[in-house]
Amino acid sequence: MRAPMGICILCLAACSSGPSADLQYIKQARSIGAEWALVNEQAQADQLTSTYVESMHQWLRDGLSTASSSLTEPRSAYGAEIRTLLAEPADAAPETLRGHVNKLKRIEDQLESA
Amino acid sequence: MNPLELTLGIMTAVGGFVDISELVFAAKAGSTFGYALIWVFAFATIGIIVFSEMSGRVAAVAKQPVFNLMRHRLGLKLGLVTLIASVISSLITCAAEVGGVALILNYLTGAPYLILAVGLTVALIASIWVIPFEWIERSYGLLGLFMVVFAAALVAIHPPWHQIASGFVPQVPKGLTTKELLTFGYFAVAIVSAVMFPYEVYFYSSGGIEEGWSVKDLLTNRLTSILGMGLGSLLAISILASSAQLFGPANVDPEIPGTAALQAAIPFGKWGLILALLGMFFAVAGAAVETCLANAYSIAQFFGWKWGRHKKPWEAPRFTITWIALFIAALAIVLTGVDVMTLVEFAILFSILVLPLTYLPLLLLAGDRKFMGQYANGAIAKVLGWFYFAVVGCAAIAALPLYFLTSGGNG
Repeated sequence: MRAPMGICILCLAACSSGPSADLQYIKQARSIGAEWALVNEQAQADQLTSTYVESMHQWLRDGLSTASSSLTEPRSAYGAEIRTLLAEPADAAPETLRGHVNKLKRIEDQLESA
Repeated sequence: MNPLELTLGIMTAVGGFVDISELVFAAKAGSTFGYALIWVFAFATIGIIVFSEMSGRVAAVAKQPVFNLMRHRLGLKLGLVTLIASVISSLITCAAEVGGVALILNYLTGAPYLILAVGLTVALIASIWVIPFEWIERSYGLLGLFMVVFAAALVAIHPPWHQIASGFVPQVPKGLTTKELLTFGYFAVAIVSAVMFPYEVYFYSSGGIEEGWSVKDLLTNRLTSILGMGLGSLLAISILASSAQLFGPANVDPEIPGTAALQAAIPFGKWGLILALLGMFFAVAGAAVETCLANAYSIAQFFGWKWGRHKKPWEAPRFTITWIALFIAALAIVLTGVDVMTLVEFAILFSILVLPLTYLPLLLLAGDRKFMGQYANGAIAKVLGWFYFAVVGCAAIAALPLYFLTSGGNG
């Protein structure tokens, strides 16, 4: 009896939707935004090669697009925030990017404590 | 024992220790849980040392590679199940490594990722074909020593050493929610799997036979396992600790492998970045070669074919066709466009499921006095071996539920 119940719980965990299901993508987007800010900060300080910076921008943007398109509720506040982040130019100021990161982090914390 | 050979062997093991999974999970573990998972790396390293030493000893004394033993000890049916599971696990791991190397080369050159993956696969196949066995492992391992820049970077950022030292004490951080506890559990299982990948034992023991080890090489085997893997593990722990110091406070949970290279760029600038990327490139390329050869060894040994890179490629044709086909299959997986991080997660999951089946026959044979004589497992090897077998058994049971409940560690 316990085994089928366990399988049901695992299936529910894997197939759920809504903000709690989106939490992983919000976290992913928040982290990508923070990685982007760190890359731009180090690039401004001339610590990185231009090839690395360009490649990282491309991969970070791809990751952000995937996170955005994976949301089950794209019309939510966090969906809008991720889209705004995605619309930033590649060489956006680290402070601007961190502003988006902080907003996503607040949403993430609210969802986790709910 | 030739001191030069021993030093080269140890340095090769150090440079070849870190692969794409350890790189990813060390960086993620540090940013998510600070220094609290260092002990899991240390703990799993003792496990891989125990089983590597055992597999090397069996190869030297009994001249038997792991998969040959598996068929005899587990029987044909269970042996075949293990073979299929380990081939799938090592193939996914190989694909993750090939994708990882292409990604790292993309950060270095900016050339298109998929074209790099194709070119690299051809280059890796050519390197196995052309380079003698001893130097295949050695060249990638020694060039992987560029990874030492991660340890230097850790020293340069002046981390809180007392906190790093306390991370070696087994612990679960206080005040975690149930969800965070599950995530901590998932990371612990993933690190055990990444450090104790089954392909490492297949490759190590088959390599011992390729190099014609005998009982006079037992000390070399022991020292290479303990020092090489122990020091290699310190590199992975350096990545974890730098990540805790630099990435955690910045809200970064590295989502792409290239982020780890920032750890060396922050204190050392462009040269630090380039050395880190080169170290990652050679270490991960070495792992790609090892996973592919380990897979071909397993298949050839199971079916009793002629095998080994000490033979000319055409002297062991089925073995040669197998490792080339496996590389092409790994490339085909990469070319589907699947994300490298997803491949890493699947590699970790499949590997942990195969681990108990890999280590059980090895443990039985290494402890068999009829087979191993005076070189059978002593009390310490026996206790450690069965203890770690129980650990990987529990980890295998917990892996899938933890993966689903934590969305692959993403909460």
